[in-house]
Amino acid sequence: MSGAASPVLDIRDYSLGYATGAGPFQALKQVSLAIARGRTLGLVGESGSGKTSLAWAIMRYLPANAVEGSGNLLLSGEDLRAKTPAEILNMRGRRIGMVFQDPATSLNPTMMMGQQIVEVLIRHRKLAPRAAAEVAESLLARTGIARPRDMMLRYPHQASGGEKQRVVIATAFACNPEIILFDEPTTALDVITARQIQDLFMELQEETGVAALYISHDLALVSRIAHDLAVIHHGEIVEQGAARAIFSAPRSAYARMLIASVPSPQVRLVSTAPPADAPVTLALDKATIRYGERSLLDRLLGRSQQEVVGARDVTFAVREGEILGVVGESGSGKSTIARAIAGLNPFAGSISLAGRTVNARDDIDRAYRRQVQIIFQNPDGSLNPRQRVGDIIARPLKLYGLARPGEIGERVGDLLEQVRLPRDFAARYPHQLSGGEKQRVAIARAFAAEPRVVLCDEITSSLDVSVQASVARLLVDLQARTGATCLFITHDINLVRQLAHRIVVMRRGELVDLFPVEECDAAERHPYTRSLLDAVPVAAGS
Amino acid sequence: MLLVLLIVSFTVFAITQILPGNAAVMILGEYATPDQIAVLEQELGLTRPWHVQYFDWLGRILTGDWGMSMRLSTPVASVIGEAFWRSAALAAAALVTVTLIAIPLGVIAALKRGTVTDLGISTLAYLGTAVPEFVTATVLLVFLAAPERGWFPAGGFVPPAQDLLASLHHMVLPAATLALILTAHISRQVRSEMSEVLASDHVRAARLKGLPEGAVIRRHALPNAMAPAVAVISLDVGYLLGGIIVVEEVFAWPGLGRTMIYALQNRDLPVIQAVTLVLATVYAISNLISDMVIAALDPRVRYA
Amino acid sequence: MREILRHPTGLAGALMLSLVLTAALVGSLIAPYDPQLFHPIARLQGPSTTHWLGTDQFGRDILSRILNGAWATVSFGVTATVLGVAAGAAVGMTAGLIGGAVDNVIMRIVDGVLAVPDLLFTLLIVTVLGGGTGHAMLAVAVAFTPGMARIARSAVLSVRTREYVQAAVARGESTGYVLVREVLPNAMGPLIVEATIRVSFAIMLGATLGFLGLGAQPPSTEWGLMIAEARQFMFRNPWAVIAPGAAIAVAAMGFNLFGDALRDVMDPRGRRR
Repeated sequence: MSGAASPVLDIRDYSLGYATGAGPFQALKQVSLAIARGRTLGLVGESGSGKTSLAWAIMRYLPANAVEGSGNLLLSGEDLRAKTPAEILNMRGRRIGMVFQDPATSLNPTMMMGQQIVEVLIRHRKLAPRAAAEVAESLLARTGIARPRDMMLRYPHQASGGEKQRVVIATAFACNPEIILFDEPTTALDVITARQIQDLFMELQEETGVAALYISHDLALVSRIAHDLAVIHHGEIVEQGAARAIFSAPRSAYARMLIASVPSPQVRLVSTAPPADAPVTLALDKATIRYGERSLLDRLLGRSQQEVVGARDVTFAVREGEILGVVGESGSGKSTIARAIAGLNPFAGSISLAGRTVNARDDIDRAYRRQVQIIFQNPDGSLNPRQRVGDIIARPLKLYGLARPGEIGERVGDLLEQVRLPRDFAARYPHQLSGGEKQRVAIARAFAAEPRVVLCDEITSSLDVSVQASVARLLVDLQARTGATCLFITHDINLVRQLAHRIVVMRRGELVDLFPVEECDAAERHPYTRSLLDAVPVAAGS
Repeated sequence: MLLVLLIVSFTVFAITQILPGNAAVMILGEYATPDQIAVLEQELGLTRPWHVQYFDWLGRILTGDWGMSMRLSTPVASVIGEAFWRSAALAAAALVTVTLIAIPLGVIAALKRGTVTDLGISTLAYLGTAVPEFVTATVLLVFLAAPERGWFPAGGFVPPAQDLLASLHHMVLPAATLALILTAHISRQVRSEMSEVLASDHVRAARLKGLPEGAVIRRHALPNAMAPAVAVISLDVGYLLGGIIVVEEVFAWPGLGRTMIYALQNRDLPVIQAVTLVLATVYAISNLISDMVIAALDPRVRYA
Repeated sequence: MREILRHPTGLAGALMLSLVLTAALVGSLIAPYDPQLFHPIARLQGPSTTHWLGTDQFGRDILSRILNGAWATVSFGVTATVLGVAAGAAVGMTAGLIGGAVDNVIMRIVDGVLAVPDLLFTLLIVTVLGGGTGHAMLAVAVAFTPGMARIARSAVLSVRTREYVQAAVARGESTGYVLVREVLPNAMGPLIVEATIRVSFAIMLGATLGFLGLGAQPPSTEWGLMIAEARQFMFRNPWAVIAPGAAIAVAAMGFNLFGDALRDVMDPRGRRR
């Protein structure tokens, strides 16, 4: 990539703080970075690292309580801090473009999408409305929209996530900016669409030579698209340089930890699969789950009700001690299956647990429920905010009579230790714990019941990257120790390749593929599995 | 909507005709003799089973036979007819004033959030919601209709046909009372909706596209604040319908509200039932209109 | 509680509330004069050193009457609201928890009743039952029930879908346990906020009924009734009308502001951490 003599974006020793009710908070501490023409710099950090604040600082869109320290922000050599408000308004959209995380909320829901591009063209390129409309249409065509003229007249809620993000990218490129800021642009999209959007941007960058600042928490994603990398932690840039170099040889401890936390399929957490003659613990036979059952009143009044099929004719069996990974995009039905097995959704078909078969949700009794425990995705929602941690974990012990009243305190302490939390956490309330700690409590609660089957529904997806790895390892550890059978549901394919024995692929409610993890790349894989595997970014250099 | 009106009609009927146990006693009062009660019961058909009474009543209402006012011995329909239009005039005056004043006030308060202007508007609005209509009405009377000053009449009604200017003069205070209270409610709600929209992601995105603030407010903020504002305003129509009763009483304005008070004080059953139904229907229709306005403003509702 | 006081609206509300509640609880004790006592010489006077808020047409001291009437006005608001909340919560929670046809039917009826404006509904019931404080209280409580039912139902519905409730169901907990230990403690929040704000409406409704002669009856010193009695002479001594009016406003605002601050405090706390 050719670099211009002077960088497009040059940040030197820039500091930013916020005056909050709880005292001053330093968001950025002497940050320095530079991006040349045609290059992409990935800014990687976890939540609270200050990466988004940098974007607002560049855009000069800071809240009233922001306190800027010394330091320069230079766009093509011009000092951004010296600009007047009128100049800044002219600069936004024309010289600096921005692409946000969630296209659903960053587009005006009551304005046609075509109009939202046109207004930028009229404002900055001073085009007449009709000319602007034509340019907008050609921009949409360039970003891969199938029928640009139709899309111009549509409202955001009438387009898919991928289509919306293409519209946003078209808007960002509309005035040929010098640099585009991306703030987690693909986090709200499914894996395959995310890949397509990234490819699209890389093409456009080749064509136009625009510089880019790509902000994300996802190292693997960034490694695909960035030439250079800057790792930010608590407002400080802890490491910076060419992306390849950093991935292969990180120098700072934090960067090393981050890279190590990224799930890599080569690194197996779990060794061999259980013997082939191990008994089948859990089996599903043609399980079908429907939503939106029509109420009696609706049926009386003849009103048609939306009936959505969550999962259809799902059949598989899991052996004792096995970890079965279930992958798919959102809406694929993977969570639906877990909830049906846990006895939360009514279902048709049958579910067998250690030989006993149930054909309907009402057949499920307490003994069954004790043997099947479920852990949810959202750490904030899975614990009752008004109960102490100790009571939360003690509940299964009391309910299932697994410990005598005098022993409960001991047992709770033991369980806390098993999930690597201090024993005195039992006296705390959930809001005093971090996300990762809450998830550990949820895991402790599940294993407290000494279940046969543990259903993990996206248990790491809402956690920071560095915490994800430790929670995943904890789960695998407990599973090995207790010999429980585990259903691990996730959309993170790299993670599932690390810890599953076999993998199930779901798509739109149907089970499309089931195979042992070693056979991931085999030829007989379903085409959808293939496309999923291809779309997933793998951290470069690992 | 029809289902709702049906339930309303049944509720009204149940409360007034069935619940009292003996409606005749309620109408005639405690001192009625058993003979008088028996005669009235026969006359009103109160000895029939309740569901028969209900459907008979419902049928008559729907076919336009609203019965006779017991006190005034005139058909209910004619009693209500004139009163309806007078109340409508009052309500219309109030609503027009409110729309012209309250919505801009709410928008301004939201735009200048946190400043003295906002504080001023918000405080006044808050005050307005904590003061019952009869207090506002009385205070207005005290200050603006005192005999020494005589700026406005202390109440009463002059038919427009007779003297248009005087008619309007009499309308000012009652309409102003209603308008004040509604403005307080509505400007608060508009402010809240507008504030939320101004803090939304898409308004931020519009600003970051370099659009001038005026365009951002006009094209990106206002349209998105209006739909939920309309939804919330339509709830206030219900409040208006209640408030109008008190206001008409204080200002001796001969509209539906005053008729209702008179009917309540005199236990005039058919009139009570009819006025309640009319008011509930008006409320239901206004909800329908607001639904249509929301659909016009919000494409997500139009093209669900 | 400290959070609420840090909030400017909460502080203002708390101040007004303490004023009003003090008046309600000990008003009669600290009133300078007997509220029913006539002072024939000092009739229809404005504020003076002997009568801080003036006197009404019978020479009764207005300040004493207001202090005395605080209990009537405030207790009316609180009692009516508590009754309405209890009834509404029972109905709404049942609908939200059972769901299905029961929920549908209940909510249709609620919608239907809500189509009648509050004041009108209250007037109807009072007419049927007869006037007087007790009946008026009942009427307001009944008028509040459908609105509170709606709120209770939505609170229950939103808590019902939380994962910790689902975890309890998945564990096989009994319905009673899920209800009492998991759902109820977490659904109470919105109800309490709404109830606090509703007290202000109840106070205003009670005053309106008093004004119309359908609520509190003489010789009660309920504030709405005071205004009705003073109406005839309002041009001669506006204070007889303005003072109780201001009192009503302060009481209603106090509950309203406090409730708003309560809502703000309860909301972000959930999101913090």
